[in-house]
Amino acid sequence: MADFEPRITAFVCNWCTYTGADLAGTSRLHMASNVRIIRLPCTGRIDHMFIVKAFERGADGVIVSGCHPADCHYTAGNYHARRRFGVFRELLSFLGIDPKRVTFSWVSASEGGKWADVVNSTVERVRTMGPFDSYHGLVGAASPADDPFASFETPAGATGDSAAAPASHTGGAS
Amino acid sequence: MTELQDTARRLLDEGEVKVVIGWEEGRRGVRPVFVTSAADCDRLVFDTRCVHNLATFLNPRRSQVASLGKAALVVKGCDAKAVAGLLREAQIERDGVVLIGVRCGGVVGSPVAPDAPALTAETVASRCFACDVREPGLVDVLVGDAQPEPPGSGTLDERIAALDALGPDERFAFWTNELSRCTQCYACRQACPLCYCERCIVEKTEPQWIETSPHPRGNFAWHLTRAQHLAGRCVGCGECERACPVGIPLALINRKLQQVVLELYDYTVSDDPAVPAPIGAYATDDTQDFIK
Amino acid sequence: MSDTKKKKSASSKAATPVTDAAVAGTASTADGSVVAAQVADASEPLALGEARFLTSEALGWLVEGLAAAGTPAVAPAWAGDAGRAAGGVGDAPETEYRVVSGAAELALGERLPRLSLKQFFLPPTEVLFSYKRNGADIELTPAQAARDTVVLGARPCDVAALPIVDKVMNWDYADELWNARRAATTVFSLSCKVEDDSCFCSAVFLGPAALKGSDGRLTPVDGGYLVEAFTDKGAAFVAAHADAFADLPDASANSAQAEQFRAAARERVAGNLQVDHGRLRDWLDHHFDDPFWASLGPRCNGCGVCASVCPTCHCFDIVDEPESVGSGVRRRNWDTCQTCVFTLHASGHNPRGDQNARYRQRIEHKFLAYPLKFGDVLCTGCGRCSRACPTGQDMAEILTAIDARAAEDAS
Repeated sequence: MADFEPRITAFVCNWCTYTGADLAGTSRLHMASNVRIIRLPCTGRIDHMFIVKAFERGADGVIVSGCHPADCHYTAGNYHARRRFGVFRELLSFLGIDPKRVTFSWVSASEGGKWADVVNSTVERVRTMGPFDSYHGLVGAASPADDPFASFETPAGATGDSAAAPASHTGGAS
Repeated sequence: MTELQDTARRLLDEGEVKVVIGWEEGRRGVRPVFVTSAADCDRLVFDTRCVHNLATFLNPRRSQVASLGKAALVVKGCDAKAVAGLLREAQIERDGVVLIGVRCGGVVGSPVAPDAPALTAETVASRCFACDVREPGLVDVLVGDAQPEPPGSGTLDERIAALDALGPDERFAFWTNELSRCTQCYACRQACPLCYCERCIVEKTEPQWIETSPHPRGNFAWHLTRAQHLAGRCVGCGECERACPVGIPLALINRKLQQVVLELYDYTVSDDPAVPAPIGAYATDDTQDFIK
Repeated sequence: MSDTKKKKSASSKAATPVTDAAVAGTASTADGSVVAAQVADASEPLALGEARFLTSEALGWLVEGLAAAGTPAVAPAWAGDAGRAAGGVGDAPETEYRVVSGAAELALGERLPRLSLKQFFLPPTEVLFSYKRNGADIELTPAQAARDTVVLGARPCDVAALPIVDKVMNWDYADELWNARRAATTVFSLSCKVEDDSCFCSAVFLGPAALKGSDGRLTPVDGGYLVEAFTDKGAAFVAAHADAFADLPDASANSAQAEQFRAAARERVAGNLQVDHGRLRDWLDHHFDDPFWASLGPRCNGCGVCASVCPTCHCFDIVDEPESVGSGVRRRNWDTCQTCVFTLHASGHNPRGDQNARYRQRIEHKFLAYPLKFGDVLCTGCGRCSRACPTGQDMAEILTAIDARAAEDAS
């Protein structure tokens, strides 16, 4: 998978991580360029659906990052986020979405170096995991949902197992 | 049963309530009934078929029920937890409902049977495992005889453990297979006492967060969202799964999150409305070993 | 040969209890001409050609052959899923209609499949067209063409739903997608032994061996099925797969056994429900504000499971879904009048604002509006709504209650 460039979406809080990322940039730190940053006021505003939407729309990995506990600009937003994502992470994992595709971090405004590290380590980890084809391929021309006869086209072993349809879209790495 | 009927009769006669919501014998088994006259109170029954969580009918948006007037609700201990949830979240007032608690020793998974099946490890509903509310809390009146512990059946937790033992890809294949049958009918939502939102997130179109199309992508988004929104609130009644017309094992997902909030935040859903739910609350020392 | 045929149909007529006479009455309806279109199970068309024999083994080969040739074969099959977790009562394994490719999957004549055949003609989600922006232009690509398909061994109640829904699908416009799938599909029903007392096909002008919508019919006999074709499509299928079908081992004995099976089933279901549809329609037409509806609405969750499992419910929602920047699809998805937002106007007004009104709508659509407009009751008596309803709404009970009120009114 040497030529696979993961697409990472990062949801970061304005006050800490976004500023920290800016610092990483102005400090000319070496960072992978695979990350697209979306700035929110606070991690408390980050709904679990943002992560799901990112995967739906083609992201291979997601970063969620904000202020350290006790440093939230809105006092408690990151505490709420911590609980919310503590639970959501387990939910993702239970449904088979590997939580290694999602990085959660606390990066303060002065931690440009840490941001670079979060970015680089996430990109490398997701590169090893490969593209998130299984999620991206959930709806396709031959999805059983679109065409009730589509499961018929999946290879042998698909009897009663429409799971074979999305799996057949994956590139290979699993 | 007579105690239940007498209690209902008294409440109606004395004008304390206008309707008693309980169970009656239907043609195929037991089903919810809305008794508005004292004369009809002998229709009320309670036995092992009474699996429904009647707290769903307290949803204030169900105007066809609300218009019947102040209600008395027959609740098992688990159902009372749902009522506590509605109170906790300010959907109803405590003095807006009279709760008739029935002592319960367990129910079977389906209300459809000509008479009450015996409870065995095979027939008992999964939710009855390790029940701690055979004497319902929160109630105004308590009826029925004390019941023995329901037969043990930890199948729900066993099945979750089996899934947890798989790798993520295998779990993904499992859930894609199960969720591909989902037609996004929202029966799971409608049957759930805690899914009471006047406007559900799935009906929000600007933007459309959750694709309403029942393809696997839309279905994942729906079930991820519903499970997340119920985390720490779900009482484990299993009505969602019972309502599902295509047999998706939804109870596994909600039970998993019950395990998660217990492990992470030491929380089990309580029938005391004063105990706050875990999501919406926080502690400054919450676990954060997943955060870099 | 023709004598045998005449004798066969005569004996079928003699064996069938004439319960539908009262039901098909038009007297009490203003629009009497409409109901005459409904045909009872008793007067079935003649089979085309000789009845054939399909052994259970040959059915398996037929299915495998179709799969190998790339023709989807839809049949009742064992549900390939994990099964419910929260239940505690050991139900028989569930079945579903599914494209099958092997004998081991087949579950003909077992438990009623949990969803109807509807999903193969009106899928839960269906792409209407895809769009792609090309500068200032927009390219539209229509939906995939339907492919030749065969349905083997479906319940007559599910099959009969198809021509019933054809009517609304060809009313103010011709629904190309539905029609294409219909034209491309050959349907063989399986004479039903009657599921349970929630069935009431005979009360809605059908029966456990009804031919409405069937291109052919299988009836269980010793060793396999007696197969009859009733349309050119059905005969063509039998001819095209002639090597799967054999001569009946003993034509008259097999035919008698088949007829006996069907007659026993008709008798079994006849007692489940009997209503006077004319009287029913009359009552529905004049009791819009009756307190009866308030006795049904409270129990209803508004979940719409009844609509999902129903072979004749056909409402859908249309959505546009972007797949990427500048491209996406328009889909139609199953919808149900039982949800609170179904008739919610943009202004906020909702003409069916509570479940009493919504539940009334369900009954009125099926038993008043649709028959008046199209001549068919929008119900095939499969009973799924009663079995699937989480709160115990019972269609047979409801219809009986309405009919009783109607009878009282008339007296």
